Amino acid sequence: MAIDLTRRKFLKISGAATVGATVALNLPDNFLLWAEEAGLVKATYVPTYCEICFWKCGAIAKVINGRVVKLEGNPAHPNSRGKLCARGSGGMGLLYDPDRIKTPLIREGKRGEGKYRKASWEEALAMVAEKMNKIKQKYGPQSMALFSHGCPTDHFLPLFSAYGSQNIGMPSFAQCRGPRDVGFELTFGENPGSPERVDMVNSKVVVLLGSHLGENMHNSQVQDFSEAVSRGAKFIVADPRFSIAAGKAHTWLPIRPGTDMALLLAWTNIIIKEGLYDKEYVHSHTNGFRELAASVREYTPEWAEQETDIPAAQIIETARLIGKNAPAVCIHPGRHTTWYGDDVQRTRAIAILTALLGSWGRPGGIFLATNATMPKLPAKPYPVIPTPPLNRGDFKFAGAEGVTQVIRTATLTGKPYPIKGWFVSGTNLMKALPNQQATLDAINKLDLLVVVDVMPYDTAMLADVILPECSYLERHDTLVVGKGKMMNVSIRQPVVPPLYESKPAWWIAKELAKRVGAGEYFPWNTYEDKMKSQCALWGVNYEELKNKGVVAFPDTAAPYFTATNPPEFKTESKKIELYSKELKEAGFDPLPRYVKHPQPAAGQFRLLYGRSPVHTFSRTTNNPELHELYPENEVWVNSKQAKALGLKNGDYAVLVNQDGVKSSKVRVKATERIREDSVYLVHGFGTTSKELKRAYRRGADDQGLVTRYAVDPICGSTGMRVNFVKLVKEA
Amino acid sequence: MELTVTGTNAITSPFLHAWDWRVALYLFLGGMAAGLAVMSSILRLKNAGKSAEGESASFWGPLWVPIILSFGMLFIFWDLDRKLNVYWLYLTFKPFSPMSWGSWGLLLFFPVCALNALVTMPGEYRHWLRFDVLRTLVDRLQPHKRLLAILNFVFGIFVGLYTGVLLSAFVARPFWHSALLPLLCLVSALTAGAAFMAIIAKRKAVKLFFTKVNVSIVIAELIVMVLFSIGLATSQGGAVMPSFSFILEYLLYGMAIALVAKLLLVTDERSDALPDRAVLLMQVSAAMVLAGGLMFRISLVYAGQLSHLV
Amino acid sequence: MPKYAMVIDQRRCVACMACVVSCKKENEVPPEHFRTRVLEMVEGEFPKLRMELRSELCNHCDNPPCVANCPTGASYKREEDGLVLLKKYRCVGCKACLAACPYDARYINPDKGFADKCTFCEHRIKEGKEPACVATCIGKSRIFGDMDDAKSPVRVALQGAHAEVLLKHAGTQPRVYYIKKFSKPE
Ligand SMILES: Nc1nc2c(c(=O)[nH]1)N[C@H]1C(S)=C(S)[C@@H](COP(=O)(O)OP(=O)(O)OC[C@H]3O[C@@H](n4cnc5c(=O)[nH]c(N)nc54)[C@H](O)[C@@H]3O)O[C@H]1N2
Ligand SMILES: Nc1nc2c(c(=O)[nH]1)N[C@H]1C(S)=C(S)[C@@H](COP(=O)(O)OP(=O)(O)OC[C@H]3O[C@@H](n4cnc5c(=O)[nH]c(N)nc54)[C@H](O)[C@@H]3O)O[C@H]1N2
Ligand code: SF4
Ligand code: SF4
Ligand code: SF4
Ligand code: SF4
Ligand code: SF4
Ligand SMILES: [Mo]
Repeated sequence: MAIDLTRRKFLKISGAATVGATVALNLPDNFLLWAEEAGLVKATYVPTYCEICFWKCGAIAKVINGRVVKLEGNPAHPNSRGKLCARGSGGMGLLYDPDRIKTPLIREGKRGEGKYRKASWEEALAMVAEKMNKIKQKYGPQSMALFSHGCPTDHFLPLFSAYGSQNIGMPSFAQCRGPRDVGFELTFGENPGSPERVDMVNSKVVVLLGSHLGENMHNSQVQDFSEAVSRGAKFIVADPRFSIAAGKAHTWLPIRPGTDMALLLAWTNIIIKEGLYDKEYVHSHTNGFRELAASVREYTPEWAEQETDIPAAQIIETARLIGKNAPAVCIHPGRHTTWYGDDVQRTRAIAILTALLGSWGRPGGIFLATNATMPKLPAKPYPVIPTPPLNRGDFKFAGAEGVTQVIRTATLTGKPYPIKGWFVSGTNLMKALPNQQATLDAINKLDLLVVVDVMPYDTAMLADVILPECSYLERHDTLVVGKGKMMNVSIRQPVVPPLYESKPAWWIAKELAKRVGAGEYFPWNTYEDKMKSQCALWGVNYEELKNKGVVAFPDTAAPYFTATNPPEFKTESKKIELYSKELKEAGFDPLPRYVKHPQPAAGQFRLLYGRSPVHTFSRTTNNPELHELYPENEVWVNSKQAKALGLKNGDYAVLVNQDGVKSSKVRVKATERIREDSVYLVHGFGTTSKELKRAYRRGADDQGLVTRYAVDPICGSTGMRVNFVKLVKEA
Repeated sequence: MELTVTGTNAITSPFLHAWDWRVALYLFLGGMAAGLAVMSSILRLKNAGKSAEGESASFWGPLWVPIILSFGMLFIFWDLDRKLNVYWLYLTFKPFSPMSWGSWGLLLFFPVCALNALVTMPGEYRHWLRFDVLRTLVDRLQPHKRLLAILNFVFGIFVGLYTGVLLSAFVARPFWHSALLPLLCLVSALTAGAAFMAIIAKRKAVKLFFTKVNVSIVIAELIVMVLFSIGLATSQGGAVMPSFSFILEYLLYGMAIALVAKLLLVTDERSDALPDRAVLLMQVSAAMVLAGGLMFRISLVYAGQLSHLV
Repeated sequence: MPKYAMVIDQRRCVACMACVVSCKKENEVPPEHFRTRVLEMVEGEFPKLRMELRSELCNHCDNPPCVANCPTGASYKREEDGLVLLKKYRCVGCKACLAACPYDARYINPDKGFADKCTFCEHRIKEGKEPACVATCIGKSRIFGDMDDAKSPVRVALQGAHAEVLLKHAGTQPRVYYIKKFSKPE
């Protein structure tokens, strides 16, 4: 690098040899500096909300001369509280990324070859509409599937409902929160929400299973995490890796991956045995305590030690710490919970423990959502489709967001009926779904693959038609009704006009609707018209919302159980279901039971993955502002193992999984911070899209190695930590 | 310890590389000019000027001083990243900034050494002076010849020391931060000056004189270098020792001394009657001393940047 | 006369890098260059490990070697509030200040050639705002204020806490104070 710098400077000096040129170059510069200081350059501030991840933080864009120069947190917004995370602060990197998709593109070569020609919107929309109409005619509308994530969903979901298909799949269910939400719904009748309603700031003890807060950079939640640490809350962090959160913990439990259930059940056993549970709460609000107590009796700390690799004494000690501090104990429900295939049961165990401690609805536990709601605009009812959707597969407890891979399987097999078209927006399926080969094979069977995206990521580069959406900083989107402690409404509005020929999703949806005979479902002219009607209905002053970015309804808060806010559970029995009749009736274990998961053979490691605080999945890997902070991921491997393999910190290696799939080369991080039986990658790297100049083939793609996955029989989610890899030094 | 840093600048991480060979050359040439000023003044002042008689180096020596100095200054100017602001160096004087001392010092040294060169100019070159003003100036200064030589000597010492003070001022860089460094740089400057004189001297006796002077200063320099290294080993600057050493300089100097030693063996007292082989040995050994001096400056500049206060 | 200072409560830092990006955007720091950084340090052997997280920036030293060594007066310590600042129009890009700073707090602007570093966001304090990195600090690890004001956040943060400065023996008298506590290996 030293040589590089010098050479660069040298070239510059010899190039700009003439003083005149230098002066000429300097003058406007000095002028600008002066003008800025003299206050001649005026910045405008436009509030909106962030879409670099799904936390939807209120942001304020600072715009000078039509250019976004900075993004700041909106102090009035509960998810940001005046702060943005590194990713949110780097949001303009997406807006100004030169690799953006600039015009509609139509595929010219074979699928995956990456050859496209520019097209007009007129042509591209007509082509998509024609193919959609053809599929509808030939196979029925349900043969078109929608894969979506994030805000574009709010526009394409209505389009699909109007067109006649309910076959939607969002990775947020089967690859993310699904099992957790189902586990909590089965127990408490509702899920812990997003943002999760964790009351960490008031906790005395917080338990994190995985949940790598700090790296998992959900803004206000990490603010609360740090606040809790500083207020002296004791964190018990179970993680095979010494995460940032583990570094802050009172106790770090370097648990053997896949054995969290053993730990939870042993804790439950101890807490019951030692009478540390909240007897009054359990007695009044729960069902099935006796069955629970009987079923956990076998799960002794000594047994759990064998499974988890955590000393029995430490299990007992932490159980007591948890029990004695109840109810101000927050067992974090987790978020990305699709781990080993028994994930609903594991989150059930978390929910049950939460109930035993009496933490639900109590300060320091899980606080309650506001009950307030916003009325819906009157709208024409969607057509009734005779063919039932297939997107929940055979999973009795699958959520409304659908089970993504079930649609993929149906595409491959044509059963129960054919899926012929995929409409993809806001998700990079190649990176989000396990078993990439299956995704590729399914795509190759399609008559139509449309991708609406801002950037040419992997999945877009397989599409027949690519439609360029403008970034979140250039468009309107749905009004977000937030339900944390209180209800609030936030607005997204363009802070600068769209660059190139990109268009907002609402416009694309409306234009497509016109062309597939569903125009009447989009009765408004512009999205702003729609938002104005919504505001009128909700009693929100639209202009105020525009200026402030968020409007809150403080009187809707009721976070804890009180005399005036008595406990109420939305389960069948109106009680907390420690013992789940519902599960029993569906043929599943009514109480969580320990299931042993296979462990890696000698010479193999379990492949774990997680987040970098400066990236969001695959979507920011090419963002210049964030790329420079973490340009490629590294494979974490225990230093003893690295040494045995002859690998040094910074060497390049290749990962080979149990099915012989190889990763691209990736740097080795030889570290004490991980167990010897596991390796770890930050998710989202190693894109195969050549259009991404910065990110192309940088780092290793964890998803490429996740060829196997363990489906949770209860809700259909895909456990993805069940792959084993070898590490091979890159020659 | 495992350390990960996010947000480092290439110019300071993993180690400082603010300065490169240009600064090393600047220090080397500046030092050589300074040493040359000292040595040429010695030649002029020694024996009340008798030694200088009939020796062309007594003019060429002083003349090379401003020329070499200009080249040195050219390199430091080249290194500046914002050259257009260079005049600010002379609208300020910062008493605690060696660089400020240096820029002012060089500014004063330059006319002194230039005038010194002018007044030592032998009659046969008088026609080089194109302008009357110059000629009258030279005439007017003739009576102050000795003073100019003394000034030249004094500035030479100052600049020679300065090349070391510049670096030793940085507490942040333990390798440089040594009271011995200015002395080391001064002796290095003097060896370079003496070597240069040895090379350009016409008379064999003068050559031999500067060769002998050189040997004593080189030996002195080696001693200071050893002391400096010992000092390093006991300070934080020692941290860079594995990746850096003065070995190359020791080698060059050692060989130069060996050559000179060999030379002294073949030398009898009437030095003007030295054989050509001996002259060649002197030239080669002087050239090696110059090379060693250059190596010294380069290693100094780079190694210092490797070291960091912890 | 305010005496501006920063306290970094390392216990609260989560190494999220929000400060790093926010600082760059606020101050138009060019690509690949930074005014502030975050260190992650881990000591020990699995599973007995401890972690220290620390953000670093210019210390606005009360005895700043960068200022002493600057030959042009471009680097200076502002009398009224003690900020160490830079007059860009005076800087020759000699890099003496870079060599002088024991904290590696400076860099050279690659296009313009002047030295640059953290200004404590002087332009924002002037408007009554907090420095950009402080405003966005997710962990509230960065705390800014006036040391002469007993009610200012820095004084409150330092109350009863053991604070240290970096490289005390350098004699630079930094104005950035660190409160650190290691996680206990258990
Ligand atoms: N910066 C950033 N933040 C994000 C996101 C992002 O992309 N970037 N994405 C957001 C989204 S959508 C989600 S779902 C969340 C995901 O974030 P989390 O919900 O926190 O994800 P987890 O999988 O629980 O956490 C990963 C951690 O689990 C550990 N782990 C792996 N296997 C096991 C195991 O068997 N047992 C235990 N106890 N730990 C294990 C890993 O070592 C790693 O530290 O992050 C959110 N926050
Ligand atoms: N192996 C593995 N698989 C995982 C995970 C993991 O950690 N490891 N994490 C899982 C989890 S928790 C989740 S939530 C999912 C996330 O899965 P995805 O939501 O698919 O996440 P990304 O990979 O970021 O892909 C987002 C895509 O949306 C595009 N995009 C970004 N902004 C916009 C926009 O404004 N409009 C439009 N139209 N497109 C936009 C991006 O360019 C990118 O192509 O992945 C899941 N899959
Ligand atoms: S957490 Fe960060 S990336 Fe996600 S919405 Fe908030 S600011 Fe944006
Ligand atoms: S930290 Fe460095 S740049 Fe900042 S005032 Fe101190 S010496 Fe100067
Ligand atoms: S680079 Fe600029 S600020 Fe730094 S010492 Fe030189 S003139 Fe002063
Ligand atoms: S105070 Fe301002 S300039 Fe200094 S590190 Fe923070 S944001 Fe950057
Ligand atoms: S923003 Fe605050 S918490 Fe985040 S890395 Fe910077 S100092 Fe630490
Ligand atoms: Mo997720």
